[in-house]
Amino acid sequence: MRQGQTAVRYRDTGQVHLDFHRTTNGTIAYLRTTYGQDFLDEVLRRFAREVYRSIREDLRRGDPEQLVEHWAYYLGREGGDYVIERQPDLIRLTVRRCPAVAYLRERGIGPDPAFCRQTSVVNAALAEGSPFELATEVVGDGQCVQTLRRVRP
Amino acid sequence: MIPSDHFVRFYNEVFQALDERGHEHLVAYWRQLGRLQAAELAERFRAGGLQAAYDYWRRVFNEENCQGQLTLTDDCLELRMDRCPSLAKVLDSDAAPCPLYCDHCMAWIQPVTEACGLHAVLDMQSRTEPHCLLRVYRDAAQAAAFERQALLPSRPCAEA
Repeated sequence: MRQGQTAVRYRDTGQVHLDFHRTTNGTIAYLRTTYGQDFLDEVLRRFAREVYRSIREDLRRGDPEQLVEHWAYYLGREGGDYVIERQPDLIRLTVRRCPAVAYLRERGIGPDPAFCRQTSVVNAALAEGSPFELATEVVGDGQCVQTLRRVRP
Repeated sequence: MIPSDHFVRFYNEVFQALDERGHEHLVAYWRQLGRLQAAELAERFRAGGLQAAYDYWRRVFNEENCQGQLTLTDDCLELRMDRCPSLAKVLDSDAAPCPLYCDHCMAWIQPVTEACGLHAVLDMQSRTEPHCLLRVYRDAAQAAAFERQALLPSRPCAEA
């Protein structure tokens, strides 16, 4: 898996409006309690397929670099504590401080029980039809391990 | 994590998915957003009036990288958006924009202002270009007069 400068579809600049994590939390709670988890997941998969089309297409071609750049850029931009490790057939993102969960906790807002599905369901959808699987394991409050593993040539 | 920067693109997909279930589902979601925003802001605006509203929008204006002009007069707060970062991002996406995207703004602003005795009017001007004009008045008659001259007033919950 190569490293270096990668073309990315989105690279936002300027100030960051972290209040959006509160609205994401409220939206996830609303969709889950009003329509059920299946509909919530359907919306998240739709987001992954439509908005992150470019990342999905790269993964389908066997190229994970845009996804890795996306992780590093946006976690860095929001002050996340994370490590990205590379091995021959996998790339592992370990998030030790999720900026979204931290934002909510700092304001006394409890994350919805399905809050981390915005990561796990989106990740699964990103890897659909690609030679990779992208697993998400929540290992603590605001902590997770996301593993991109090549499972097909 | 959906980055804060990508939230509005997620929002757009939520709007599309709910509207496909039936427009009343989209309006119900907007009403919920209005309740949440009113719980967060109405007391602050009620206590501090237009100045408190101005202070809130000043912060959001900067954090969301808006381009335009925020003005406070004795009569009203005016937010002239020359480039709305929200719609601009939705238009700069691999996903198709929801045709009703701009209405979400008024859907949360109106419940907040109504709850604290202020009167908001949003002239969207266009649904496909990222500019609009928002005014929040103390006086209902002045708000109504402004709405009559608006090019494309937003009334997100009017038909539901």
